[in-house]
Amino acid sequence: MLRNRTDRPALLPQLGDLFLMELTNWRWSWRTLVITGTITPLLSMLALGVFARGSGAETQAYILTGNIVLALMFGMMEKLQSRFMFMRITGALDYFATLPIQRSLLILAIVLSFLALMLPALVVIISVGALLLGVSLSLNPVLLLVIPLCAVPLSGIGALIGSLARTPEESGAISLLVTFMLLGLGPVVIPASRLPGVILILGWLSPATYAASALRQALLGPVTLRLLLDLAVLVGLSIVIFWLVSLKMRWRQT
Amino acid sequence: MIVYDVQDLVKYYPGQREPANKHISLHIEQGEIFGILGDNGAGKSTLVRQMVNLVASTSGSITLFGQSITAHPLHVPRHVGYMPQDGRALNQLTVDEALFYTARLRGMRRADARSDCDALLDRWQINALRHKYSSRLSGGERRLLQLAVAMAGSPPVLILDEPTNDLDPQRRKLVWDVLRRYNTERGATIIFITHDALEAEKIIQRVAILRAGELVALGKPSELKQAVDQKLRLELFFSPETPPALLAGLPTYAIEAGRWLVLLEWQQAMATLASLNLEQLDDFRLYSATLEDLYLYYAAQPH
Repeated sequence: MLRNRTDRPALLPQLGDLFLMELTNWRWSWRTLVITGTITPLLSMLALGVFARGSGAETQAYILTGNIVLALMFGMMEKLQSRFMFMRITGALDYFATLPIQRSLLILAIVLSFLALMLPALVVIISVGALLLGVSLSLNPVLLLVIPLCAVPLSGIGALIGSLARTPEESGAISLLVTFMLLGLGPVVIPASRLPGVILILGWLSPATYAASALRQALLGPVTLRLLLDLAVLVGLSIVIFWLVSLKMRWRQT
Repeated sequence: MIVYDVQDLVKYYPGQREPANKHISLHIEQGEIFGILGDNGAGKSTLVRQMVNLVASTSGSITLFGQSITAHPLHVPRHVGYMPQDGRALNQLTVDEALFYTARLRGMRRADARSDCDALLDRWQINALRHKYSSRLSGGERRLLQLAVAMAGSPPVLILDEPTNDLDPQRRKLVWDVLRRYNTERGATIIFITHDALEAEKIIQRVAILRAGELVALGKPSELKQAVDQKLRLELFFSPETPPALLAGLPTYAIEAGRWLVLLEWQQAMATLASLNLEQLDDFRLYSATLEDLYLYYAAQPH
């Protein structure tokens, strides 16, 4: 009966298969990735860039990196929120729950696949954005580490919203609210020098603050010790958020 | 060998005062084809969802191959292929991908998964759909894909929630044929919920009938029938203008214009048939109580 199977499927091939399965989500997500993940941040850069013309290189740098964070929120947080929500309402979660897979690998595969789908959008935003804003890039190889670490906690927030919300409408609305809250709290799009103190303090609690700071250093330089703090916080947040996600995912109805 | 052992199972959903099922005990042997019948809301889907560990039970226990299903989250998935009623889970995949990846995730090597996928496409007669997105399939096509997905990777136990829903008569026959073959060729245990009692009777070996969350009958259809009703059914088909003459005193029910059902004791059968004027009849059928009769009896009667 079971002679064609291996008793304990190796984890790496399992992750590979789950990743490829989840990658097929491009079939529904690519349109919104182009619109909200690419065009919207570019338009926002254009608008803010015109508005802030003449206010200095620092402001333009914030507009660029802040909007990359915005793109990550639309491309990762919002997408993960809808994927997790739809897994619940379409029965995909039941499908995976009745397969002999490591459940944490499914979560990892979803994050990695949406990150892979996001990469082309990021390349476009960074290059076109820098051109539009007249910002000169000074790419540091640490960017390859910074981008996933910025994306993961944001995806985790999306996964958590999608796991907890009652309906897709509610889930989408909460995700949008969180997007704007995280953008507004702290020096993400607007430089710290132009923000009131209370916002700056609240900003210390927001993953977007650390993501924007890390991106500024990796894209525009200089890379300072601050990057270590940013990355450490992003790693810590990722661990906490995905621990919460694994607690809150309803693999089993009560 | 006992595959499933269900003991005193009770399920209350949060916020509901009536239990979805209460005090259900049954066991299912290896290689059995086990049918679950019952009205809508009788608790059938809850029961099978408890059996595949998608719904937590309020009390009672379920073991699969002697081990509690809650002891390890991968215990049930390693042995059971489950088909839910809802078929939207794999919407973003093509038919081919859905089968291939399911076989892979059930532990098959790539080449084995590929040939399993091909075999399932043939067996379920969905080869022409292999590159179609699951979301673009008709209801019936999607049901066949779901059945194939449940069988991908050849799990030794299948649990199917209404396998013939949305299917035309020809495809319903295909379902029963494929399931019977899977059972005889591989010794697989097949557990399913159905409303097609008449057709399912062809393959069901043992049946459980649920009513309002309670198990009201459990056993082989033949045994249950003997306990309930030993009458024979004689169905007569004729032109409504010329009803046939029958021996006096037979309980006769007009099912519709031109169709009667006559209930006969065994010893009345020969005499009644002999008395029929075949020229007055388009057709007649004589049969013993069916699974559907049993279902109606148990689902309707309070006990």
